[in-house]
Amino acid sequence: MVLIGVRARPGAIAVARRLAGHLARGLAMILVVTSINFVIIRNIPGDPIAARYEKLVEQGMSPDQAERATAVLYGFLPRGSLWEQYVDYMGGLLTLDLGQSLSTPGAEVTGMLAAAATWTVIPVLAGTLLSFLLGVTMGVYAAIRRSGRLGDVLAISGSLLHGVPQYVLALLLGAIFTTLWPILPGSGTADIMIEPGLTAEYVGSLAEHATLPVLTYALASYGGWILAMKSSVVTVLGDDFILAAELRGLTRGIVFRYVARNAILPLFTILALSLGLLFGGAIFIERIFTYPGLGLLLLDSITGRDYALMGGAFLLITVAIVIANIVADMLYTVIDPRVRSGEESA
Amino acid sequence: MPSTPSDTRADNPPDTLGRGAPGVRISGLSVVYRTPAGELPAVRGIDLELPPGTITGVVGESGSGKSTLALSLLNAVQPPGRISAGSVEIDGLGDVVTLRGEELRRARGRHVGYVFQAAQNSLNPLKPVGKQLLDLGRSHGVADLRGLVREARDLLGRMGLDGARVLDSRQHELSGGMRQRVGIMFALVLNAHLVVLDEPTTALDMITQATILRIIREVHEERGLTTLVITHDLGVVAEVADRLAVMYGGRVVEQGPTRQVLGEPLHPYTRGLIQAIPRLVGDIGEARALPGRPPTLATIPAAGCVFRERCPLRTDVCVTQEPPEVAHGARLVACHAVEGGTGEDRAGAGNHGGQDGAGEPEGRAVTAGAREEQV
Repeated sequence: MVLIGVRARPGAIAVARRLAGHLARGLAMILVVTSINFVIIRNIPGDPIAARYEKLVEQGMSPDQAERATAVLYGFLPRGSLWEQYVDYMGGLLTLDLGQSLSTPGAEVTGMLAAAATWTVIPVLAGTLLSFLLGVTMGVYAAIRRSGRLGDVLAISGSLLHGVPQYVLALLLGAIFTTLWPILPGSGTADIMIEPGLTAEYVGSLAEHATLPVLTYALASYGGWILAMKSSVVTVLGDDFILAAELRGLTRGIVFRYVARNAILPLFTILALSLGLLFGGAIFIERIFTYPGLGLLLLDSITGRDYALMGGAFLLITVAIVIANIVADMLYTVIDPRVRSGEESA
Repeated sequence: MPSTPSDTRADNPPDTLGRGAPGVRISGLSVVYRTPAGELPAVRGIDLELPPGTITGVVGESGSGKSTLALSLLNAVQPPGRISAGSVEIDGLGDVVTLRGEELRRARGRHVGYVFQAAQNSLNPLKPVGKQLLDLGRSHGVADLRGLVREARDLLGRMGLDGARVLDSRQHELSGGMRQRVGIMFALVLNAHLVVLDEPTTALDMITQATILRIIREVHEERGLTTLVITHDLGVVAEVADRLAVMYGGRVVEQGPTRQVLGEPLHPYTRGLIQAIPRLVGDIGEARALPGRPPTLATIPAAGCVFRERCPLRTDVCVTQEPPEVAHGARLVACHAVEGGTGEDRAGAGNHGGQDGAGEPEGRAVTAGAREEQV
């Protein structure tokens, strides 16, 4: 519209500078966390290679044979000092080489992570977005009808769901939909009898298998969204500018938009942050539904003392959270003009 | 229930009411707030008339019910409050207390403009002023949005602002004085002829206060408005108001022409208010704070005079009987101590003549006094 001229945004450079600062700090953070992880993981009691060696000896190999077999199996013998291993590990990171898995000999950690990530990211993303949309919508109603029965029901259901741990919810849903009323598969990613491919049958089976995990993610986080949105809307409804808008005779639709946009702002930050947890927060659900995502992979790597895989999984979680924090901050700069101009004047 | 066939249709915006300043008659207005202790009155039995084309000032301390009164003019008392009795008749609009839903919404903004205190954030922080202006236009079905923007720019320009720039700004980019002018623009841009200003100069510096008051006066005269100014600041009413109503504990205790009320206050509360103002000249010690505290919603006495706890002229009758508003010349005063006489014999003057001083200040002297938030 020509009515209101568009001013040049002098904030672009400031935003770029802010982003650069974030990236530098993020890298430093990743470095520190990775180093700490390295030290902690190497100090976990139980040496998988020694364990393998002893197992081979028990099975009747001579010690020499066993040692050679172990070396062949893993392609290396970690005899160096911790410091040498550290330098080696960090060097590998630069080329995105996370090493070889110890529990699954011959497999690259990077490849294993990538394969598992698909099974985590898509369902968690779907579950989070579903619960965000649902929770935010219901939160608005809970706020508007806060003195009525509907508001009470919504708020109480939100608090209850918010209080139930993910794994209890997963077990409950599993029990209901696979045993009491068996309409959904309770484990795996797809029916193994169906040939993988872009067929309707296979995709349908994928969706069917993903339903319970997605539903669990959604229900587990829905309570938090509804409560957060409710309190945010209640705060905005009490703001002067909403009364002012009503006194100016703005239509209900416009006033509602004023409320909704102002109220949802802080929730975007929580959303961005929760997406960062997406890579690590699904251990229980994946374990219960035997869904081969990152959570299950991490769990297996810990029980199997798979240093390399553990390190890789932790690194992935770290990077995801750091990125999510940066995104949350930058997002706020973009969507909230007050923060943006604060940046300009700083 | 449709009470008046007021044409608020969009296409022929102004002058649907034969325009010109409307008169307002508030009668028997009571507003109660629901509290755990039951419904408590914030405003009780108020009768007040705003003659067409005048500026009426309402003064009172925080909690005296003046803002509630202002909101009643738009039937906008916020829950848990509600108008429990009385009527607010606005020429061309009828009794706004009976207006509901769409009818009420259309009346707001188009017929009655409301200006918030500058310190309050009366604008959507996320949207530029211009976009909010368009929202206003669309809400009231203004067909010519360009014309509306032009009108807004003109108004802002007349108030000494760069209209185009302001329309392109968001709230946080504007100073308090600029926001206040934007608020006035929003109240006037749809050509409302009744304007309610709630604490229009509070939280502004002295120079900006003076500018805003000058603007209020000028715009009032140019556009032929009926204006209601709510304030706790006697200096403000002295400067702009033709008529003045003093509120205390939800009651109007004294009302009349500003010069008379300020120059020769009859009600002991009005006197106390005026004495509490420090002067620029003379001894600071002459300013005398009113002893005691104003009543809150829960402590407003149910019977008798609302002011009696702090009143130097208190008698037994004040505890039991509520003083009626009695005419004293052009004025209405609700006080037992002032009652009875003709009003001109300065009832009660003997009682506290000591602190009364010889020459009670004229209205102008009050204006000259430093405007403290002191009441």
